[in-house]
Amino acid sequence: MTATEIHHLYWRAGFGANPFVVNTLLKERVQVVDQLFEDSKAVTYLNIDLSFMDGITQKRLKDQPQLAQKIKKESRKKLENLNTAWIDRLVHPKELLREKMTLFWANHFVCKENHVVFAQKYNNTLRHYALGDFKAFVKAISKEAAMLKYLNGKHNRKRQPNENFARELMELFTLGEGRYSENDIKESARAFTGYNHDFNGNFKFRAKQHDENLKTFFGKTGNFSGDDIIDIILEEKQCATFISTKIYCHFVNPKPNLEHIEAMAEVFYKDYNIEQLMRFVFLSDWFYDKHNIGVKIKSPIEYIVGMANTIPMQFERPKDLLKIQKLLGQILLAPPNVAGWKEDKAWIDANTIMVRLKLPSVMLNNAMISLKEGDTNIKADLKRLYLKKNKGKLPFRIKADWHKFLSDFENISHHDLTTFIIQGAINKGTADYIETLNTSSKKEYCIQLMSLPEYQMC
Amino acid sequence: MDRRKFLKNSALASSLFFVPNFVKAFETVATEQLGYKRLVIVQLAGGNDGLNTIIPYNNDVYYNARPRLAISKDIIKLNDDLGFHPSLKPLRSLFDNGELSIINNVGYPNPVRSHFRSMDIWHTASGSDEYLQTGWLGRYLDQYGKKPYNAIELDEQLSLAMKGEHFNGIATNDYNVLYKTAQDPYFKNVINHYNDAHLSEHNLGYLYQTMIEATSSAKYIFEKTTVKSSNEDYPQNNFAKQLKNVAQFINSGLDTKVFYASLGGFDTHANQTNKQAKLLSQYADSVSAFVKDLKQNNTYENTLILTFSEFGRRVKQNAADGTDHGAANNVFVIGKNLKHAGVYNSLASLSNLDSNGDLKYSIDFRSIYATILTKWMNVSAEGIIPSQQKQLNFI
Repeated sequence: MTATEIHHLYWRAGFGANPFVVNTLLKERVQVVDQLFEDSKAVTYLNIDLSFMDGITQKRLKDQPQLAQKIKKESRKKLENLNTAWIDRLVHPKELLREKMTLFWANHFVCKENHVVFAQKYNNTLRHYALGDFKAFVKAISKEAAMLKYLNGKHNRKRQPNENFARELMELFTLGEGRYSENDIKESARAFTGYNHDFNGNFKFRAKQHDENLKTFFGKTGNFSGDDIIDIILEEKQCATFISTKIYCHFVNPKPNLEHIEAMAEVFYKDYNIEQLMRFVFLSDWFYDKHNIGVKIKSPIEYIVGMANTIPMQFERPKDLLKIQKLLGQILLAPPNVAGWKEDKAWIDANTIMVRLKLPSVMLNNAMISLKEGDTNIKADLKRLYLKKNKGKLPFRIKADWHKFLSDFENISHHDLTTFIIQGAINKGTADYIETLNTSSKKEYCIQLMSLPEYQMC
Repeated sequence: MDRRKFLKNSALASSLFFVPNFVKAFETVATEQLGYKRLVIVQLAGGNDGLNTIIPYNNDVYYNARPRLAISKDIIKLNDDLGFHPSLKPLRSLFDNGELSIINNVGYPNPVRSHFRSMDIWHTASGSDEYLQTGWLGRYLDQYGKKPYNAIELDEQLSLAMKGEHFNGIATNDYNVLYKTAQDPYFKNVINHYNDAHLSEHNLGYLYQTMIEATSSAKYIFEKTTVKSSNEDYPQNNFAKQLKNVAQFINSGLDTKVFYASLGGFDTHANQTNKQAKLLSQYADSVSAFVKDLKQNNTYENTLILTFSEFGRRVKQNAADGTDHGAANNVFVIGKNLKHAGVYNSLASLSNLDSNGDLKYSIDFRSIYATILTKWMNVSAEGIIPSQQKQLNFI
C-alpha cells in the first residue's frame, strides 16, 4: 500500500494515521486490512464508575422522592462522564475499527437516554455488535431498555399499540422511507406489544400485554413476534441496499455510487455479516480511487479525535470537551432526533465553519495563527504577547503535548507533514499562500494547516 | 513581481472577490425592489398537538377521544366552537385586535407521519411523493436575495428551508462571536489567495464558499446591529432569546427579509399535558414580548410572523397519556394588517377522519406560502412553490 492509501484507510476506518502506523504498514493491502480486523476481534466494553447506583432499588426511589431527585441529578452528571470517557476511548482505542463502527452505528440506531445505566448498556450493545451479525443486532436493539424508552416501545400494549418504534425500525433502521405501508406499521407495532424492561435495564417480555392475534405484514399472515417481524424485514433485499448505501456514504464517498453499492448489497444480503461487508469495502480497488480520497467532511467527533491523534492533548476541565462538541454541533449521546446527525455538508454552515477554522489555534496555540516566520511585525508581536498574557481568558484550558508531536514527527519533512494533516489536495491559491509564509517551525506550520478549510476534509 | 502574478493578485485582492459570482448576477436587484417587508418563521418542532392548542371545547367527539388528555378548564374562548389552550393567554389581545389569524386543517395530500420527512416537505414545499434538495425560502432568495444575511436563522445550524440552489442563509446563535472569529488576518489572507472557478461544486468549494460568505456577513451583521438590546421584558429561555435577537436585527434595519426561529420538544407521545402547557407558555410569552418590542420600534407593521409545526397529532389519545403522529394541523399568522383575522376557517370534522384516525386537511400549506410570497413579499410564487396553488385571503 502507498502512504496515501494508508492515510485514506486510516481516516475512514479510524481517525487518521500517525508516522508509526504509516512506517509499519507499508505492506500488501490484504495484510493491512486483515490486521485491522484482527485488532478489532475483541470487545472492550466502556464502563465508567456507576457505584452511585449501588443499593438503589425501585422501591427506595418510589418511597424517597428526595433520593430519586438526587439519583436523577447524579445520573445526568455521569452521562457527561460517559460522553468524555467515550471520546477518550476514541482517542486511545484498543479496537480501532470496532470503535469507529460503534460511532457509526450510534448515528444509525439513534437513541437518547438520560439514565446513565441504560445509556452505557446501550452504548456497549452497539460496540458488541458493531462488526457482527446485523440481524441479531437489530433484535438486540429492539430489546434495549434505552430504545424501549426512547421510541415508546414500553408503552406499546395490546389494548393501545404505540407505533413509534415500528415506524422508525423500518424508516430509519432497516428499509428507508416509503418502503412499507401505513398498515405494515400498524400490524408490526402489534407484534412488538408487551416489550418492556426491568429496573436494571434487562429486557422483560410481558406476555399479558402482547397481542397474540394474527398480523398481516408484508403480505404474510401469522401470529408474529417482534423477532419474526425483523426476520421478515431482513428478507427484503432493500434492507441490504439501504444499509450498504449508508455505509458507502459514510465510509467511502458522500455521493453514492449505485454500482458499488449494489456490489456491497450482494455481499451483505448473503448473511448480513457486517465484518464481511466492511472487509469487502476496504479491499475494493474503488475504495482507494482518488475520487474517494479527502472528499468527506469530517464529523465534529472525527475532527476533534483526529486532532488529538496528531497532537496529544489533555482537557484540564472535562466540561470544555462538552462545550467544544456543542459549538461544533455534535454532542455524543445527545443526537438532535431519531434520524441522527445528517453528516457531511450538513455539519457546515457560516457559524460552524468559522468555529472549526479558529478552534485549533484556540485549543493548541493561545489563539494565535502565525502569519510570518520570526515575524518582525510589531503588531503581531504585540498580539502574541497579549494572547499569552490573556491565556486565562481563553474559553478552554487544554494542555497540548507539543513535545510528543515534535518527537513523533521528528523525521518527517515539511512536505510529508502536510500529507499527515491534510487529506487530498490543497487549493492551489491557498497552497501558494502557505508557501509564502515559509514557516520552519513545525508547530506553527501544523496550526496553519489545521486552520484551513482543507483540514475539514478526510 | 511579474505581470501575470500582478494581474492575478490584483484581481483576487479586489473586493469583488468577496462576492461569489452567482451573487454578482443579482446585484442589479435594488434593495428597494426587495421592499421592507419581513417574514419571521417560527417552527414548533416535533409535531405540536393542534387540537389541544386550539381546542374544540364544544365537541363531544374531542372529549370522548381523549378521556385523560382533553382540556376542559380555563379555556380562553375565541368563538362558539374554539378556544385557546390556557397557556396561550398572552396572545389573547392579538386575537381580539385582529392581528392573529388561525388557519385550521393545514396539511397536504397523502400526509407523511415521519418527523423528518414531513419537516422536509414543509421546508421544501414539495409534495409527499417528491424529494427536493432546496427550501422554499432558499429558492425565494435564489431569485431575490443578494447576501447570505438576507436570511438569518437564530440557531447553530441552518434549516433546509433556508437553503437555495445557490443561496444559503446565515445560521448563528451569537453574531458577536462569529464576527470576532472572522476577523483573524490569517483567514482574510487565505480567502484572498483562494482561487477556484467552480465554487461550491464539490465539498471543498462549499467549505470555502461558506467561509467567504460567513466573513462578509458577520461583518455586516455586527456593524449594522446598532440597537444593542431591547427594553422589552422577554422570558428567560432560548426561544425568547432567539426572538429578542430577531427584534434587535429588525429594529436596527438590517437588510434581512427572512428570520427563522424554532422551539422544539412537541413530540409528546407520553405524559403530554404538562410538557405541552410549558412549551405553549414559552411560545406565547415570547411571541407576545416580541410583538410589543416591534410595536415600540414601529417595525411591527412591516413584519409578518408565521408559526407552523410539521404535523398535528392523532385525535385519539394513546395509552401513555400522550398522542401519536397525526396529519393536518393549525397554523398561526400574526401581523398588523391582516385581511382575515381571527379564526380563518372552521375546524375539520372530528368524526370524519382519515384511515389513520387523523384530521383531514382542507388547506394546502403551500397555498399559505404562495399567498405570503405574492401578497406580502410582492413576488410571484412561480419557480419558488413548485405546484400551482390558489391564493388565500388572510393578508
